[in-house]
Amino acid sequence: MSFVPGQPVTAVVQRIEIQKLQQGDNLILGFSIGGGIDQDPGQNPFSEDKTDKGIYVTRITPGGPADVAGLMMGDKIMQVNGWDMTMVTHDRARKRLTKKNEGVVRLLVTRKSLEEVVKQSMNKYPRQ
Amino acid sequence: MFCRNQTARATVARGSALEMEIRRGKFRKSVFLDTSQQDSDIQKKIDHEIRMRDGACKLLAACSQREQALEAAKSLQTCSTRIMAYMSELQRMKEAQVMQKVTRRSSDAGPMDDRLPCKGKVAISDLRIPLMWKDTEYFKNKGELHRCAVFCLLQLGGEIFDTDMVIVDRTLTDICFDNTIVFKEASPGFELRVELYSCCSEDDYSAGSTPRKLASKLSSSLGRSAGKKLRAAMEPGPCSPISNGGASPLLLPVPSVAGPKYHLLAYTTLSLSNVQDSFRTHDLTISGNEECSYWLPLYGSMCCRLAAQPHCMTQQMISGRLKVKQCGGDPQSSTKVYAVLKGTSLFCYHQQEDVEANIEPAFTIAVNKETRIRASEKDPHSNVQNICISNQYGGEEVTHTLTTESREDTHRWMEAFWQHFYDMSQWKQCCDDLMKIELPSPRKPAPATPKQGSLYHEMVIESSDDLSSTVSDILARRMQELELRSQLGTSSTWMSVFEENSACCPHPCTSHLSGPRPCTLHQLSRSPVSPHRCPQLALLSSDASLTSDSDSHRSTSPCSHHHGWPEPSSNFSLLSSSPSHLRPRTLSLDAKLSTLRGRGYGGGGTFHCSCQPPPSSLLAPLPISSRSPRSQRSTQTTLSCSSSTSSNSSSNSEGSHSPAEGAPFSRPSMARRSLRNLRARLDPRNWLQSQV
Repeated sequence: MSFVPGQPVTAVVQRIEIQKLQQGDNLILGFSIGGGIDQDPGQNPFSEDKTDKGIYVTRITPGGPADVAGLMMGDKIMQVNGWDMTMVTHDRARKRLTKKNEGVVRLLVTRKSLEEVVKQSMNKYPRQ
Repeated sequence: MFCRNQTARATVARGSALEMEIRRGKFRKSVFLDTSQQDSDIQKKIDHEIRMRDGACKLLAACSQREQALEAAKSLQTCSTRIMAYMSELQRMKEAQVMQKVTRRSSDAGPMDDRLPCKGKVAISDLRIPLMWKDTEYFKNKGELHRCAVFCLLQLGGEIFDTDMVIVDRTLTDICFDNTIVFKEASPGFELRVELYSCCSEDDYSAGSTPRKLASKLSSSLGRSAGKKLRAAMEPGPCSPISNGGASPLLLPVPSVAGPKYHLLAYTTLSLSNVQDSFRTHDLTISGNEECSYWLPLYGSMCCRLAAQPHCMTQQMISGRLKVKQCGGDPQSSTKVYAVLKGTSLFCYHQQEDVEANIEPAFTIAVNKETRIRASEKDPHSNVQNICISNQYGGEEVTHTLTTESREDTHRWMEAFWQHFYDMSQWKQCCDDLMKIELPSPRKPAPATPKQGSLYHEMVIESSDDLSSTVSDILARRMQELELRSQLGTSSTWMSVFEENSACCPHPCTSHLSGPRPCTLHQLSRSPVSPHRCPQLALLSSDASLTSDSDSHRSTSPCSHHHGWPEPSSNFSLLSSSPSHLRPRTLSLDAKLSTLRGRGYGGGGTFHCSCQPPPSSLLAPLPISSRSPRSQRSTQTTLSCSSSTSSNSSSNSEGSHSPAEGAPFSRPSMARRSLRNLRARLDPRNWLQSQV
């Protein structure tokens, strides 16, 4: 998940589709995000690479739409509905998630465990 | 031409010269009437603004809360600027009048030969001004949180508008103004001046522009006493001069008010070349330096969307019956149509009724910058001139011939085409395509967004979404209070009071305002108060009844469950709004209340997590399921904690008075210590987090 400037980022991602929940006048997703290119990456407790300025999930409301969809705390959000989230400001990220006319957000998230799973599965069937 | 009637001939003979005289005289009279009409218009506007300014001064003197004071000071600034603009316009008009009287003798005052381009609507929206905080300030959050209140003044021609006020501190990266401002009558050579005013939002207001360090040293008590002194000195108030119509405007004494004073921080001027249908960045000229109390580190540019809709694109320029013939087609077949010239096309409908019925036109002829229009030679058969319109459609030249019903019509149409082309040449890029201008929707009262200010210090990370009846009651009451407070802060509320006062009952209202106003305001800040006496005079009720007139400022959502207003009039529903506006605040309040209660119950709660989420529905309203108290407690331990205290403090809060609630959760098991570490590290003071 580390980022080398100028090189494409590759990651094992999971697709998560979250249906927004109507709460009064707002549509909520039920999680909190942290990070962004305008934020201090050293403060991110979830990132492996302390220079990673991506958007991370810092909290999940239990029972909320994100929880139901399988989002986990510590996930790094790579895309939201096709929009890139690896190189955005915090505010831009928040806005992309809270668009009023969208009822569903489709995220691509990555986490350490995914990479490990893939590695393990690759090791199971080593190339002959 | 001789007439048998002598008088008639005399009339005729005199008619020509007399006619000229009359025309000249009429012209003079009409101009005179026009200017005196415009004069009185401007005088009325000036009087109106003076009254508003007086009201703003009084409100400022009576204000106890910072937000209100800032809003009132903003209105004061706007009113002063408007008054200055109107006065200078009045001056200019009088000068023009004098000049005209002088020049009329010398030259023949005929109608102006020069063509004037059509006016248009200019709209500016989505203003965003980026800030450039220092690394140490922004990330490490060192030092006091220095806050400034900012707003923008936009001036075009004689129209001046202000945006909403925004409180800015170092948690914000940009200053965003969500307002869309539309100027109705702008000429293509317009100059839109954008000015950014800011005011330091700290305790002391009495000293105008003290350097920041000094201002922070001055104690708030000094400010209050100084303010009282100034208020007492100001009590007689600036006498609003009654303008004597027609005479030169009196110099108005600028009232020196105790209270926050805005200073010009940056400005720029936009014109037609900046108009585009998308966002553009413009440079700002910054006035002021770091030493000023109102200083903000601006990046130096401003982004906005400046759109223009000239009237030639939105209105019908000319319409009438025509016979259209396409060259190259059947020479004898010419279609009778009802043609409408609008925007970049000439729409030809079968019948006139089709225009209103919104039926598709029979065909459309493009009229744009590439079109060539000329009047052809007189048709020998009929005495009418034809108009030829030629366009290039993909390399091919297509010509349409229009035949009108009479010669005057031909002249009218040619005149209209010339005017249209002139307009398009003046408005340039605005005539390529119609730019969309969104009219500002009826503004709802601005909710207290948690983004601004130091709410992050209050906001906690974890909070249960459960809302028991008691908690929601408390929240509802708190939100009500907030709504009232924020509504008082918005200028439209009190301004509408003054508007109505001037119209209906000036005397009792003004006296009422100066007297019990402070106590009414004070009462408002605590809890909703039953309005006294007749609805016209009491502040709050007058808000409701008056804001019903100014519908554009209030949403008319029906009153929801929480309002203690005794008067059942439907107007009062305007004062409440749905609690959902404050949803982000809800959760943080929720948690804060739980924190406070938790402290009372003492600490101690063992932490166990349940690995299996109990089943429950997940639809709104939020789930309520009964769970064992033990796991309940554990839920609370994980969920609610404030950033500055340990995880124990808020453990039993929700559980004790609402045992029946709980939300299912699936949380991976973590040791308590690492959890506490995590919580500490997720402190929003260190690292910004947003709830979505």
